[in-house]
Amino acid sequence: MTAPAQQVPDSALVERIMAADEAALAALYDRYAGMLYAMLVRILKDTSAAEEVLQDLFLQLWRGAARFDASRGSLPGWLLVIGRNRALSRLRGKDRREIQDDPEGFSIEAVPSPGNLENEAARAQLMEKLRGAMASLPSEQREAVELAYFEGMTQTEIAERTGSPLGTVKSRVRAAMQTLKQVFEDESTRQSRRL
Amino acid sequence: MNRHVNPEDSDLYALGALDGEERLELEAHVRSCDSCAREVDAARQRVALLALAAPAAAPPARVKDALMRKVRADRVPETHRAMREPEKTRGFGLGWLAPMFGVATVVFAGLAVVFWTRDARDLERIHALEGQLAEVQTRSQQIARASGEANELLEWPGTRRVALMPQPGMPKGRAGVLYNREMGMVACAGWLPAPPSGKSYQLWLVPAQGSPMSLHVFGSGEWDKPMAMHVSPGMEAKAFAVTEEPEGGMPTPTGPKILVGVGE
Repeated sequence: MTAPAQQVPDSALVERIMAADEAALAALYDRYAGMLYAMLVRILKDTSAAEEVLQDLFLQLWRGAARFDASRGSLPGWLLVIGRNRALSRLRGKDRREIQDDPEGFSIEAVPSPGNLENEAARAQLMEKLRGAMASLPSEQREAVELAYFEGMTQTEIAERTGSPLGTVKSRVRAAMQTLKQVFEDESTRQSRRL
Repeated sequence: MNRHVNPEDSDLYALGALDGEERLELEAHVRSCDSCAREVDAARQRVALLALAAPAAAPPARVKDALMRKVRADRVPETHRAMREPEKTRGFGLGWLAPMFGVATVVFAGLAVVFWTRDARDLERIHALEGQLAEVQTRSQQIARASGEANELLEWPGTRRVALMPQPGMPKGRAGVLYNREMGMVACAGWLPAPPSGKSYQLWLVPAQGSPMSLHVFGSGEWDKPMAMHVSPGMEAKAFAVTEEPEGGMPTPTGPKILVGVGE
């Protein structure tokens, strides 16, 4: 059995994209398309729309790679944030309030990610822990976070949707985020110990 | 909001769950507080990863195939792309610039060849022409890139078009600005008579809150070329303005407003 080949870092692939290397884009697509597509389908509930947004994201990366600053952020973090924003914008129409968490731009920067998302095994491990943490949340907390993240709702909108008092919704979202934050911190600590 | 952002609020902000007023207060504070800005960035890191909680799904192979086909079609260098797609740049009034510089490039190259074959004594002149050619090529690439970014802006949802109009008693001119708050991108093109000696035109973004932000100080002969600029994403622009300032520009506007455009 041979050792797995050393994985080419995202930053090196982005540099190759800047030199118009299609294979580098294909490699990044293979690395992150699954993770992004799963999120897009979850938000849009429409595989055709998810496919379009996914394709646009990578096309945007192809055209805008020169603006990526690897020292200031991670590529998967950027792809996730931009992908989510584009999906929510599409979901709720052009006239919806603007999504707040979007550093979209192009500056492909300032969205570093905890954990080493470039590594498939680490990504799978984080995914498993996160899903476990989500499953362990009280159902009201999980619902509140999912409505916010996957449907782009504010706390007021969540309160209207669920028929719960605003204060209760705020408590639920805060409590859920505290739990999830702990998962991320544990994972970051674990990974930093491995380095 | 003068107090620092509660870390829990950073998470809620990154999640998109904060409502209008709370969100605006937080954004206003973060603009002037580096430590809270870092906290919000950290929250973005965490929240982005919630995507991993979505049920696994794999995109069909046709998506990658279609992407790679588009990429191959897109491989033409940007300069050529800008020339090949005049219908897109025309919308912003910039498309004619890249071809113009392309023609200029060919003319300079032709002249260089003529001089070379005619007389070796003209070597110095040839070098000068080569220098001009390189300059034209560089500028052509810059313009093509700016045109490309303007095209990109036009295609994105949320991009606003703002027309900057001359103010009474000021030099006649016009400019158009494209602004996408989420992308933090601004593209501008227009025309104005040359500024008085010792003066520069300066473009400002006037935010909904806070002081005007300098976007660009136009150099000599630069005013009529398309420009693309980047600002911090998320900034709400109330208006854009061009002022006349001392040469080299000023940190805050001091001179008369020449052109002003108010956002929608």
